[in-house]
Amino acid sequence: MDIFANNLQQQRAVTEQLRREAAIQRMPVTQAVSDIIKYVTDHEQEDCLLVGFSSQKVNPFREKSTCSIL
Amino acid sequence: MSDANQVNNSSDKVASLMKEAESLKQKLEEERQKLNDVTLSTIAERLEMISYINIKPRRILKGHQAKVLCSDWSPDKRHIVSSSQDGKLIIWDAFSTNKEHALTMPATWVMSCSYSTSGNAVACGGLDNKVTVYPITSEEDISSRKKTVGTHTSYMSCCVFPNSDQQILTGSGDSTCALWDVESGQLLQSFHGHSGDVMAINPAPNEVGNTFVSGSCDKMAFIWDMRTSHVVQSFEGHQSDINSVKFHPSGDAIATGSDDSTCRLFDLRADKEVATYSKESIIFGVNSVDFSVSGRLLFAGYNDYTVNVWDTLKSQRVCLLYGHENKVSCLQVSPDGCALSTGSWDFTLRIWA
Repeated sequence: MDIFANNLQQQRAVTEQLRREAAIQRMPVTQAVSDIIKYVTDHEQEDCLLVGFSSQKVNPFREKSTCSIL
Repeated sequence: MSDANQVNNSSDKVASLMKEAESLKQKLEEERQKLNDVTLSTIAERLEMISYINIKPRRILKGHQAKVLCSDWSPDKRHIVSSSQDGKLIIWDAFSTNKEHALTMPATWVMSCSYSTSGNAVACGGLDNKVTVYPITSEEDISSRKKTVGTHTSYMSCCVFPNSDQQILTGSGDSTCALWDVESGQLLQSFHGHSGDVMAINPAPNEVGNTFVSGSCDKMAFIWDMRTSHVVQSFEGHQSDINSVKFHPSGDAIATGSDDSTCRLFDLRADKEVATYSKESIIFGVNSVDFSVSGRLLFAGYNDYTVNVWDTLKSQRVCLLYGHENKVSCLQVSPDGCALSTGSWDFTLRIWA
């Protein structure tokens, strides 16, 4: 008996999840990806790995200077 | 009612639920296709190409005696915790490459490690099926203050503090995720739905912090509501295990990396895949992905020892980072976006900036 009850419970969970997913609001891909592009372009200047550092001095992982004050 | 009747009754119900599930799946696919009016790379055509990226290897962290399996940046943008197959957890000063703490875990294969939100504790676990939290203090031996918070019925593959030091979220080979109270060790919420090992989790970047994404060997990525423990959205498309998932910094999309040698971008609001990052020449699996702070770049660590850097908008590869001498198992952009850490089966971690 348990296996049948288990089966039923599992299938019920799967169907309920699909019902919830079917009920969500979706937006057209054009709009969704335009918003992503906007977010990226708004933040590109803060992205050091993308645009680099204004000067290597501000790079916390720059090579240590080879000359030192004696 | 007789047993036979009950069985009939229950199998009727199962059959009708399965039928409904099939029609819902079809409806979902139709709805998604209806709104699929353009591709991301078409809209991104007007953007300038990324012509040059100046990312160089800056540090090598040597000290693990076996494969590096996971690493995490401290919120202070300077320290890194890493875990290894040798059963060790090391806390590094990434600036100086010094080891500040080395902890020996009771079991080998420490598959995951994570800094708490405050940076005052780290969590880790793996083949021991457990998640253990260590407070970081100036004491010599911090292992005396360790605390076992939760236990899964199979290996723990990933852990993260989703909003504060008080709660920890874990993913496991037992195909579930779980939210634990650090202080009491109480299981606050458990997340059932995957039909394969959970390999990766990532909380949404939004302040509200009520959702997270999981990726699994069942090839699916799920978006979960932490309060209800329900799956809110599910994404399929990968042909093999998903090893890594990461939210886009906007919070509106997720990236996945898979054994099928592709990375993909799924948009939450369009509820579908909007980009695939792959090349014919790339045939090795992806173990780890992360975005640069703007979300323009996606870093992906592969089994062929390389890191590929993708332009997420134009779906083109920008460059390759060579250096590791074995599989790249983990990578992460630092919290301020200034550096990338990578960990490898070659026993080392490297910092790129």
